[in-house]
Amino acid sequence: MTDERLKQVSSLRRAMIRPELGAICGAILVFVFFLMIAGDSGMFAPEGIKNWTVVSAQFAIIAVGACLLMIAGEFDLSVGSMIGFSGVVIAILSVHMGWPVWAAIIAAFVVAMAIGALNGFLVIKTGLPSFIVTLAFLYILRGLTIWLSITTTRQTIIGGVKEAAKGDPLAFLFGGVIFKDLFQWFGEMGWVGTFTRGTRAGQPIVEGVPMLVVWAIVLVIFGHFVLTRTRFGNWIFASGGDAKAARYVGVPVDRVKILMFMFTAFCATVFATCQVMEFGSAAADRGLLKEFEAIICVVIGGALLTGGYGSVVGAALGALIFGVVQQGLFFAGAESSLFRVFLGTILILAVIMNTYIRRMITGER
Amino acid sequence: MKLKKTLTAIATATLAFAGLATASTSAQAEGENFVLISHAPDSDSWWNVIKNAIKVAGDQMDVNVEYRNPPTGDLADMARIVQQTAASNPDGIIVTIADFNVLKGPIEDAVAKGIPVITINSGTVEQSHELGALMHVGQPEYDAGFGAGKRMAAKGVKSFLCVNHYITNPASVERCRGFAEAIGTDLGDQMIDTGLDPSEVKNKVSAYLNAHQDVGAILALGPNSAEPTLDALRELGMNGAIPFGTFDLSAKIADGIKKGDIDFAIDQQPYLQGYLPAVILTNYVRYGVLPSGDINSGPGFITKDNIGLVEKYAGEYR
Amino acid sequence: MSTPLIEMDNIEKHFGPVIALGGVSFDVYAGECHCLLGDNGAGKSTFIKTMSGVHKPTGGVIRVNGQDTVFNNPRDAMNAGIATVYQDLAMIPLMSVTRNFWMGREPRKGFGPFKWIDFKTANRITFEEMERMGINLREADQAVGTLSGGERQSVAIARAVHFGAKVLILDEPTSALGVRQTSNVLATIARVRKAGIGVVFITHNVRHAMAVGDRFTVLNRGQTHGTALRGEIKPEELQDLMAGGQELAELEGSLGGTI
Repeated sequence: MTDERLKQVSSLRRAMIRPELGAICGAILVFVFFLMIAGDSGMFAPEGIKNWTVVSAQFAIIAVGACLLMIAGEFDLSVGSMIGFSGVVIAILSVHMGWPVWAAIIAAFVVAMAIGALNGFLVIKTGLPSFIVTLAFLYILRGLTIWLSITTTRQTIIGGVKEAAKGDPLAFLFGGVIFKDLFQWFGEMGWVGTFTRGTRAGQPIVEGVPMLVVWAIVLVIFGHFVLTRTRFGNWIFASGGDAKAARYVGVPVDRVKILMFMFTAFCATVFATCQVMEFGSAAADRGLLKEFEAIICVVIGGALLTGGYGSVVGAALGALIFGVVQQGLFFAGAESSLFRVFLGTILILAVIMNTYIRRMITGER
Repeated sequence: MKLKKTLTAIATATLAFAGLATASTSAQAEGENFVLISHAPDSDSWWNVIKNAIKVAGDQMDVNVEYRNPPTGDLADMARIVQQTAASNPDGIIVTIADFNVLKGPIEDAVAKGIPVITINSGTVEQSHELGALMHVGQPEYDAGFGAGKRMAAKGVKSFLCVNHYITNPASVERCRGFAEAIGTDLGDQMIDTGLDPSEVKNKVSAYLNAHQDVGAILALGPNSAEPTLDALRELGMNGAIPFGTFDLSAKIADGIKKGDIDFAIDQQPYLQGYLPAVILTNYVRYGVLPSGDINSGPGFITKDNIGLVEKYAGEYR
Repeated sequence: MSTPLIEMDNIEKHFGPVIALGGVSFDVYAGECHCLLGDNGAGKSTFIKTMSGVHKPTGGVIRVNGQDTVFNNPRDAMNAGIATVYQDLAMIPLMSVTRNFWMGREPRKGFGPFKWIDFKTANRITFEEMERMGINLREADQAVGTLSGGERQSVAIARAVHFGAKVLILDEPTSALGVRQTSNVLATIARVRKAGIGVVFITHNVRHAMAVGDRFTVLNRGQTHGTALRGEIKPEELQDLMAGGQELAELEGSLGGTI
């Protein structure tokens, strides 16, 4: 038995109208655009592809956390400071205190997630907006990071992690590169350029797939599955959509929100660990403004700022758009200061379009 | 259908805008493409001189020199920019060694690809050689701080305040450390982290001076810290009474030197750090000629005696 | 009809110095619709929240099937078969009908820690239950926001019934609805009652109450003014009781009986 008034919706349109639609269109548009204006600049050569993939993967890692948290109805502005903090914790423990790197990494994750839990606890218990609480932690963590590194090492940048991490299993999980043999073969086949001189002559310019990218993919798949397929995911939507209504039907809203704060901290620490392992050092100024970049990715991806609506795949596409635009404008030879003008424009357009799509789906007026 | 219309409109707008963004740089020179990558955040106005210098060099040599920097000064972002620049196969890269560990990999990769690299500004000559760069153009940070400290030591200064506005860059701490060791003290807590906001810098300096009446001298690490510090001193009536040296130059610092409020400015002559590498790279790429050895663009000390010409071009070419 | 499904015996609830409920007694039997009438501020919502486990009573006893019971949280009340449909908190508009329907009790399949929602089953059951309530969904995963206010109430009622509610508390389900939607909701209430569920229908609209109610209790300033059976009381009398008698009678006179 069906209502004749609802019949005219085609299945194509139904498949099209989804939270990620805006981000999908944006991503296609951005790729077409840069293929047209920067197609021969090296942007779509293997090295260029690796470049924007890595940058997008970085954004994606923190965007997944920010996305789930935003859908659960909260913000975390301390993500950027958390990145600097976790990195410095790893470096101090491993280089300065002589801990094995794997232990330093585990410790950093524990500390970061504890701070995430504290963030969540304060938000829940005080009833203050998470915007304010995490803004406080933006400052607290950044200050602590600088103080920690100055008092223990008299520097704000702590190097030597690479040496300490040699042969460490956990370090490889974050800073390693996989499929090296495959890319070596690609190099031999001439599909990937090789170094022509120096000590690395004959090696492919792109040596493999960095673990950073693997983490991004794993986190996106995990986040998407949890959000759309599990009971917990339903609770995330419910907590952000209407916390009171969710509580009335027995959803443990507080627990969901605190867990999401912890997950955001986890993602920030993944980001920090990958960065520390790749560059071999931690610095007190790492991660500045990353919290906003994460939020931008999430919003481009179609999430609603007030919670209850959004998509992890959308956020990942937002990260891809962000990364590709950032790198692409350079390859296209545009003035680098115009990047943010472009980004701002994309943000506005994305939000307008996403709002429109969302209204069609949810019947908001 | 309304959705389709909206989509089309948005697409058109985006493309039109992007076209505008790229068209604005269509004034590219015919010649070689070089990229200068700095570590400075957008808010750091000191790099204007270098931007002007590469423009002059670009016009004179008929090459295109692009300036790039990490917007927030995050060195990991800077490393990405180096990687990305290398991927675009420029004819040469000019880069600061803001942190050796972070930039080592990306710069070495660029060198391994066969791109000529000249390092400037931050970093040491030894680091530059280890990376495989052609040469280094800059001012040794520790030595510059040490030289400034020697001048102060001659006046009998025993303690000082280092006003650090970019504490997250290790080079800044080197400057203060050099100064401290030249006057024979330990840096300890004589360095304050002020951040970049002028009124914050001013307040922190005032507070420190009120709490430590016996401070012997002040060292500011650039216009961003020197200018508000000067304001603070004037407000406290301590201008001219306390020895005050600063790194780098600006119109206001030049004025302070003329009035006797600032004893000296350590000039690393940034113009040379932008101009020389561009010229040298052009000649290297075109004719294969390269001067041997590195170039110390500074330190030069600017005092009341030699302020004349400096003042005329302060903030533009000096 | 010997023991009531739930019996609230002389319930008191104080918030600091404020006495919100001063000894309210109320009960519901299976298959009846007991209307709780009261003006704004009469203590209706405090009473519902006490019955559904949100508030703990300061005094008095709650009996479920004749047994003394204490509800520590809404979950306890739900487990005892008492389901509440709140006026504006019934549904989360951004989420799909299925997700709303199963919220907090999602059906799962899988093994060990790897469990996911069985959407196929969830969608099918949602669709069937909605059909039984007389609502034709386009698809089970359409957002609740696309439904009308009356349909949303019906989804909430269907949800409660599906999850084995024995007592259904409806908080002003008709207050924000148009004529047609109101009659839909009232029809739904009648249907639910026929299925043997005890319905507590909270409203301040006497006509709506008279349409489906079997018994009527009026709450005024935190106290009950007695319970009347259907047919024993006239709408005007109920109206008077709600307003505390006197004043409204005079007011009604001057308004020509239009309230």
